[in-house]
Formats: sequence, structure tokens, C-alpha cells
Amino acid sequence: MSKGLQIALGVLAIAGLLGWYGYSQLGREDLSLQYFQTLDEFHQNAPAMVGRTARVHGYVALSSIERDVDGGRVRFSVQNTPPHAGGPVGETLSVDYLSLEVPDLFKDGAEVVVEGALEARAGENVFVARNVMAKCPSKFQAQTAPADEASIEL
Amino acid sequence: MADLGIYSLRLALFLCALGLGVGVYAGVTRRDEWTQVAERALLIVCAATSVAMGALFYALATNDFSIAYVAQHSARTMPLHYRLGALWGGQAGSLLLWGWMLTVYGAVAVVGNRSQNRRLMPWVCVALLANVGFFLILNNFVSLPFEARPLSEGHSDGIGLNPLLQHPVMMIHPVMLYTGFTGFALPFSFAFAALVTGELGTTWFRTTRRWTLFAWSVLSVGIMLGGRWAYEVLGWGGYWAWDPVENASLMPWIAGTAYIHSVMIQEKRDMLRTWNIVLIGLTYGLCLFGTFLTRSGIVQSVHAFTNSDSFGRIFAAYVILMLSGYVIALLFRLRSLRSPNKLESVLSREAAFIINNWIFMALLFVVFVGTMFPVFTEMAGGVRRILGPPYFNTFAGLLALFLLVLTGVGPLIAWRQASFASLRRQFVVPACVGLVVTAGILLRFGTAPGYWAIACWGLAGFVLTTVGQEYGRAIGARMRRLDESAFTALTTLLQRNQRRYGGYIVHAGVVVLLLGVSGAAFNEEKIVNVRPGDWAELADFRFHFLTADAIPAQHYGGAKARLALFRGEDPLAVMTPEKRFYWLEQQPNSIPSIYSSWREDLYVILTALEPDGSATLKIYHNPLVNWGWAGGGIFVVGCLIVLWPHPERAATRAGGTPA
Repeated sequence: MSKGLQIALGVLAIAGLLGWYGYSQLGREDLSLQYFQTLDEFHQNAPAMVGRTARVHGYVALSSIERDVDGGRVRFSVQNTPPHAGGPVGETLSVDYLSLEVPDLFKDGAEVVVEGALEARAGENVFVARNVMAKCPSKFQAQTAPADEASIEL
Repeated sequence: MADLGIYSLRLALFLCALGLGVGVYAGVTRRDEWTQVAERALLIVCAATSVAMGALFYALATNDFSIAYVAQHSARTMPLHYRLGALWGGQAGSLLLWGWMLTVYGAVAVVGNRSQNRRLMPWVCVALLANVGFFLILNNFVSLPFEARPLSEGHSDGIGLNPLLQHPVMMIHPVMLYTGFTGFALPFSFAFAALVTGELGTTWFRTTRRWTLFAWSVLSVGIMLGGRWAYEVLGWGGYWAWDPVENASLMPWIAGTAYIHSVMIQEKRDMLRTWNIVLIGLTYGLCLFGTFLTRSGIVQSVHAFTNSDSFGRIFAAYVILMLSGYVIALLFRLRSLRSPNKLESVLSREAAFIINNWIFMALLFVVFVGTMFPVFTEMAGGVRRILGPPYFNTFAGLLALFLLVLTGVGPLIAWRQASFASLRRQFVVPACVGLVVTAGILLRFGTAPGYWAIACWGLAGFVLTTVGQEYGRAIGARMRRLDESAFTALTTLLQRNQRRYGGYIVHAGVVVLLLGVSGAAFNEEKIVNVRPGDWAELADFRFHFLTADAIPAQHYGGAKARLALFRGEDPLAVMTPEKRFYWLEQQPNSIPSIYSSWREDLYVILTALEPDGSATLKIYHNPLVNWGWAGGGIFVVGCLIVLWPHPERAATRAGGTPA
């Protein structure tokens, strides 16, 4: 058997193993999820999104945060535009976050990304979040450097 | 000070352009006096950027808030070390640091090659100056570290550094990553010079070997420190989340690791010439790509990449220009890069190293696809889709196990063609140990840890036994033959063959690190809401919540909780997680309290003080996590053994043999 053939067989074996493994894992629900950059996009797709994992970007609506300490959850709603900027609120999304552990930067008006799935509950669609991520408030940087986004620098 | 900085950056850019032109001329005409001019230009560029660095450090130290960068990233109330660290807390300063480090490596190359590699040097200077020049263009025209703050903004005491970055590790982590990234510019430049001049032998990588290993080691440690920082600061109980920023530093590391392995094949057997040239180009390209990824916000930002981002476009143009120049040079030399030797057998060290390279490339592919997946899916016209940690853990985890096998096999299998007897001699004992460990884990824990952790332990047993066996045999042989003591035998072994035996220690460090990762299979966490006097339990630990008090006000204020930690009935420690609020930055920050032992960490976050007087705490039990850090320590020791300057060798080097 030539060396080339031996190598080709080795590559095939490894590629085959990986491919088989990848294929067997692809059906897993948690492997990949959809990311909506705006709430409106998400609302357009909302009927199809019930029960499917997604990430949605938005801003915490003013005075909407409710900490339910006994129930171990935080409820809030998310809107499409930063509330401090004024402007129309638009359609909001009610979020039921199944944990009391919110990020440090989570507060009224914070820019957030919620991860979870939409659930139809008593006539209303509630986004049940298993993860909430908050971005640095751009207000802090905007005082002096409007163009520079606050982010963790490498 | 600002003026000094501005003018030294201008001078540096001017000399850089000059040196670039002279370098090309010297390279084409092969006139050494002109090469020396280009080299001096590089040295002066290094001096000028050093002055700019000094000026920025000075401005940060003396609170010169007339400079916009200082006002935006530092504050009068911050302690001196964080004010200095603010130099790499923002974009302009980070780019200055990048450019400066490139010039330092350039100076090292110039000084070390005054009497050797004279034909390569003009092109080395050209490649380095082209890279330095790009960063100087950015620092002179796009991202200005010394820009004055508009007077209309009035008095400022600085708005401070992001509190997340106010941590001791952040003083060195970015610097180490950049030291690693820029360090790969040296082998890249020598490879480029080799391509242009046609001197395609082993010189280009032998000359830069020590610096490549240095850059690689520092990058590795930098990545690990990044994990440590995430663990201590970000407060989610983990150290690696496959975030695009983390992946950006991991990708060049993967390519670089493949490179430092595959050059050994070229060194010993003169194979894989083209592949090594490609690989170092890929490594340096990924260093640039990683910086681009984190700086442009193409993936990290929740906003899509927009055309208004001139920085991203300039950087992308630079990366494409740099790499296409390299690829064109490579295509011209493709014929002369044919290796005279061929692979003789699949059962050989060459083959093991080649498979190692394939697996590293597969790993790179997995990480690259996962990182860029949102961009790809959006370009394909759909909604952005994200591949989360389960994707990375599934695929990268499997590939890591393959690499673990090769860590044990590669260094021990014979060159050219391994005989059956030699395979038996080398691998029977380690394989048995691996099987015994696997069986032991299965008996003790069953299949609960999952396939990955079980396989990891079995393979770790195999690899560590091969390392022990190598040391044992070599020391034993010296003791018998030369009648040395075990200690003398060990130290001479390390001195005589530092790369081989240091390399084993590096491997052992990686194995122990992976064992630390395997502990994640047993991680537990829970959220509790407690009032003073309440107890909480996790695993076999109990937490007694005592009080929550105000922190004495400084540049931050906030609350500190006190908990007594017990294992069963035995008191272990008082834990004090904090919830800080940074006044100036208007930003809260949770500081976890961590109780560490060799077996596990207990990690407590004060999530919130509720209005009703109770406290919400998140507690994590992370078994074996400290093995990861210990593995990092072993890794560093191995790197130091490999890199340690050796008086005898230094003498022979001065005599003409390249290091």
C-alpha cells in the first residue's frame, strides 16, 4: 500500500469520525440559536418562534423591573429603543427571567440581550429567558466620546 | 508632553517610510551599506515610538487631562498602577503598544543579525517596517493617542477606566497577548525574506526559533491569564466562554502551536517546507485578524458591521494587503519549495506530527466557523445564528482528546519507521496505566462524569506515564553509565537537551490543565436568598450568612457580605463577596469571594441586597479548577526550561551558529 493511500485512508477515517459525530450532534437544540438584532424583527417572526431558542436585543423599559425574590425570578419588559432617548416605545416584549442573578449592568434603560424561548401564556406571549446579558451603558462614554462604544478591550 | 508624543510619532512614520524604501533598494541591489541604513532607520523608529510610549505613560502618571485619551481612560482618583495600565485600556493606546512592540522585536532582529543573514536582513526590515508603518499611520491619522481634549468640555478629572479592567491581571494580560501576537512578526518577516531571496533552507526559522518560542509561550500564558481574569472579575463562575474576544486570541495560538511542531519536521527531515511557510503566514495573519475582530466590533458588537466604521475597513485592507504580498511571494517560490524527502511510513514521528497538524487545523476550522457563524449566516441572507458554547465544547473537546493522544505518542515514536519492538518498548506501560486509570474512574464514578472527562483522565494517565518513563530512562541511563547522582543527572539532562525535556514539561502542564477543565463535569451552582443567620448548603459545604456591611468609601463604594464557610461541621474560612459601585464610571461591579483548595473552589457572588433586608447569593462549587491554574504553572516552568539561555550555547552562537 502506498504512503499516499495510507495517508488518504487516515484522513478519511478522521474526517469520517468527525463528520459522523457532527451529524449526530446537529439535531441538538442548544447547539445553535437565532439572534435577532431588533425587537421588531423578532415580533415579525413571533408566531413561528414559540418554543424555539433565540437571542433578542433591546433595552429595558423604564420601571419595568420586578424582582420576585420568593419565586426566584426577575420580570421586566424590553423595548426597541433606548428609553432615555425619548421617542416611541413601540411594541414591548415581556420577559420572565428564571433567576435572580442579573448582570451588574442590568437596570432601567440598559441595553440587553436576552436568551431563551417564547412561551404562549394565557393569551400573551412571554419570553422565558435563561440568560440575560447587559452591555455597558453608552451614556457613560457618550459624555465625551460619542463614537467610541464602551466595550471590554482586549 | 503631548507635543513630544505627537512629533515622535510623526518622525517615526517618516523614518519608517524612508527605511521601507531604502530596504527595498538594498534588497534589490544587494548592497550591504544600504541594508545598514534600513536597519538604522528601524532602530530609530523603535527609539521614537519608545519616546511616544514614555510620553503617554508620563501623561497618564501625571494626570494630564488636557489629552483626550488620558481623560477618557484614566482618572485622578485611580491608583497609579491602573492609571499606567490605562495605556492599553483604549484603542489608540493599544495600537501604540502594538506598533511599539513590533519595533522592539525589529530592534532585536537587527542587533542579533549584525554579522549573519545579511542577504535576508533588508527584506526582514521591509516586512517589519511595513507592519510598523501601518500602526504608525493609524496612530498619526485615525486613532490619536495624543489628541487634545476640546477646551469647550471644561475641567475634567478623567472619566476613568472601565471598572472591569481595574484588576491586577489586566495590568499584564493585554501586554502578554500583544507580546505574543507581535512576536510572530519575526518568523513571518524572516519567512517573507526567505521567499523573496530564495534562501529557503532552514535558516529563516532557525534564526527566529527562540523568539518564536518566546512569543508562543507568552501568548499561551496571556490567554491563561485572560481566563483567570474572567474567573475573578466577570463573576459567572467560569473562565472560558468561547466569546469572540477569547477565540480571537486562541486562533493564532492554535496555528502557532501547529507551526512550532511542524518546523521540527523540517529541521530534522527537511520535509513540509511549503507547509511551514504557509503556517507561519497563517499564524501572523490570525494575530492581525484577532486584533481586527476585537477592535472592529464585527462580531462582538450587538450592532452589525457598518460602513461608517473606517477603522475596521482600514484594518481589513491592511490585513489583506499584507497577506496577499506574502502569498504572491510564496506562489513565485512554489517550485523551489519542493521538499527532497518524502514520508516513509505512517508509523513514524513525522506522520504523528503531520496528523497533529491536521488536527490543529481542524480545531482552527471549528473555532473559526463558530466565531464567524453569525457573520456567515447573516451574509447568506438569513437571521444571524449563533453557535454557543455547546458547539465549541462538543467539537473542540473531541479534537482536544485526539491531540492528547498525540501528545503521548508523538515525542516517543521513532523517526522514519517505527519497529514493532520499539512501539512495544515505548507504549505498553503507558497504555496499561491509561487503561487502569480509566477503569478506576469508571469503578469510582460510573459514567456520571461523561465520556469526555473519563477519556481525558485515561489519556492523561497515558501521557504523564510516557513523560515519566522518558525522564526515568534518561536519568537511569546517566546514573548507570556516568555514575551521577539522580539530581545531577536530571540537571545535566535539562541543560544538554533543554528543548526535548522542557517540551515534556510543557506537555505535562497542558495535560494537568485539561484535567482541571475536566472538573467542570462536576460543577454545581445554586442561587439562594438568605437573611442574616440563615444557612445555605451546596455539595458537602455549608454557608452561614453573617452580615452585609457598607464598604469604606474610596473611588468606589458598596456592600460587603460576610459568610462563614463550613465543610460539614469544620469551619474553613470567612468569605466576603462584594458588590461595588464605581462612582465616577457610574457602574456597579460584583467581586466574587473564592475559597481555593487543591480539590475545588467555592465561589460566592453577592448578586443583590434585596429591599426586604435579605441577600441573594450565587454559589458555585468548581472541583479541580485549580488544577487548571497549576497546569499553567507547570507549563511556564517547561517554557522557561526550553528558553533558558545557556552559557555554553551562547558561546557557540557567538561563534557563528544561529540560535
